[in-house]
Amino acid sequence: MMDRGRGLLRTAALFLSIAAAACGADPAADSGQPAVALLTAGPVSDAGWYAGAYEGLQLIGDSLGFRVSHQQTRTPAEFDEAFISYAESGYGLIFGHGFEYQDAASRAGEMYPDVTFVVSSGSRSSANVVPIIFGLHEASYLAGMAAGSVTQSGTVGMVGGVEIPSAKGTFIAFEAGVKAVMPDAVVLETFIGSWDDVSAAKEAAAAQLRQGADVLIHNVDAASFGVFQAVREAREGGRTAWAFGMNRDQNDVAPDVILGSAAINIPTIFLQTALDWRAGTLSGPTITGLAGGSVEFVPNPAHEGVIPAQALSRIDEARASILAGTLDVPAIDFLEPAAGESPSS
Amino acid sequence: MSTRTRALTPALTAAAALLATLAVAAALLALGGYPPGDAFAALFRGAFGTWDRFVSFTLVRATPLLLTGLAVALAFKARVWNIGAEGQLHAGALAAVAVAVALPGAPGFLVIPATLLAAAAAGALWASAPAAMKTGMGVGEVITTLLMNFVALFMAQFLVQGPLRESRGVFNQTDEIPPAAHLPDLVPGTRLHLGFLIGILIAIALWLYLTRTPGGFRLRAVGASPQAAEVSGRFRAQPVVWLAFLASGAIAGLAGGVQVAGVTHRMYEGLSPGWGYTAIAVALLARLNPLAVVVTAIVFGALSAGGGAMQRDAGVPEVWVRGIEALVILAVLTVDRSWQALASRGSRG
Repeated sequence: MMDRGRGLLRTAALFLSIAAAACGADPAADSGQPAVALLTAGPVSDAGWYAGAYEGLQLIGDSLGFRVSHQQTRTPAEFDEAFISYAESGYGLIFGHGFEYQDAASRAGEMYPDVTFVVSSGSRSSANVVPIIFGLHEASYLAGMAAGSVTQSGTVGMVGGVEIPSAKGTFIAFEAGVKAVMPDAVVLETFIGSWDDVSAAKEAAAAQLRQGADVLIHNVDAASFGVFQAVREAREGGRTAWAFGMNRDQNDVAPDVILGSAAINIPTIFLQTALDWRAGTLSGPTITGLAGGSVEFVPNPAHEGVIPAQALSRIDEARASILAGTLDVPAIDFLEPAAGESPSS
Repeated sequence: MSTRTRALTPALTAAAALLATLAVAAALLALGGYPPGDAFAALFRGAFGTWDRFVSFTLVRATPLLLTGLAVALAFKARVWNIGAEGQLHAGALAAVAVAVALPGAPGFLVIPATLLAAAAAGALWASAPAAMKTGMGVGEVITTLLMNFVALFMAQFLVQGPLRESRGVFNQTDEIPPAAHLPDLVPGTRLHLGFLIGILIAIALWLYLTRTPGGFRLRAVGASPQAAEVSGRFRAQPVVWLAFLASGAIAGLAGGVQVAGVTHRMYEGLSPGWGYTAIAVALLARLNPLAVVVTAIVFGALSAGGGAMQRDAGVPEVWVRGIEALVILAVLTVDRSWQALASRGSRG
């Protein structure tokens, strides 16, 4: 038994010495160049929510010459660790791309007052913790109008990941958009409980198609491929069915089935955030929407004519009304009132 | 063959295995366009680079692996194949949050023990169903403990979406536990919490129990051969099996309670990235020796912490990092087997 214990220690020592031999100089040393980091809770290969954030990070690196870095975190317990690591390594602006980073960002914000933490769809704002609210529901409403104008069965479906306010909000708006053009439409809703479970998303989409839905929208991440695949198979089976993309312009992700996307221009918003941060004018919360072109409903040019011209002009009218403030798209407000509004001494 | 030659062979095997695995990992990294030197340097620095990295990252990540690893080691020692540490951990975490949230005004010296005891009790309760099925009906615990994991995961999902959902009712998570229920820091100025010390103490206690007490002897006897233990007529195996199930479940449940009270301070879906399964590797690599589990849990914690740094500092994507981690684990296992062979030959020769 003791021999075995020693053997194990020797193994560990050998492993450590080899690792130490591989250890060179610390490249994370501060080079004086502004540094920006991004945390995602899923793979940036999802062609959607996370891919958009990663493109934003690269845009900041390419166009501003900032040092950039990305980490995919697996569990919330890793969030603090990642924020702290980046803050200690001289990163001055750190994006946590999703509401789930809020608690950890608030904690890190107190520890590192000189570092700015940006939380996508965040709910709490302080001097150096800045939520970005994307206002995607406005584009989702327009997508709903398009869906309502192309459905032949009168049934449309929505496949979501986890039922969080930012996702639920896009569905409420989508449903309102559908009903704005087809008041008696049936709108199905399924949350699969995961953002990247492709087969669960495909199953949920197939179930909605079986229930008569012929237009589907999703709000998942990597799992969206399952929704597109289910629609593709329905079409191969001789049905007419369409999908809508979400979070990012996904028209080229599955061009055969995607009729349009409710898209956030995440790269542009991230770039603007980085510019504001460098100029010292970044203070939250940042609220975007159709105004300023941060979100948009993008019809897929490959399927021009499928959405009737009359419907497109109604969508344009709705867009103008939203911009003019005369059309209120239903939304979920999950922004907490700012704490400690008292003037700082 | 001389003793020297026989001793040399496994050592060479070990070195060759380790070098070959690292070479494969390095080649894969290079093929992917990631400089292997930078990647391994980042891995090492992330885990051991500074005292704070080691304490705040590696040891914090090692803590749930230490506790679940001990739970698995104890059960396996009694030949109880508890694959259910993951589910027992979730049961423990849920119970801990429920108790802590229900005691908002209580002082720490009351609420912390209550929280951790609730976690251990819930873990034991979760393990009692497979225990009853095995001792009562002879149903294999590999299947039952595994299936109970899914029940626990879905129960956690249901509870954070429903009865235990935060009072604000916005996100699928519980309320934050009151500050008095947070585990105190073990090393001031770091993120390491009391849970790590609890793990060390349980490791020592289990080692003393297994090697120094009649109960531990009985448990090892049942583990060595349940039939022989029964036939010898000295004692019955069933109570020992029950004890192994319940104690193992309690320690795994405690892992969940410690994680909630020490790190996350609330419960949500996806609390664990599969610690209860990694725990099996942790325990087996330690050859079920509780004291060695401390070492192997830290090795796995270091790999996990270093993997984060590999992404941050060397730009290696997460899927690559997980692949490299798996390769390094394989290397360590291979090397360890070779050392084992060396040790056993050495003692015979």
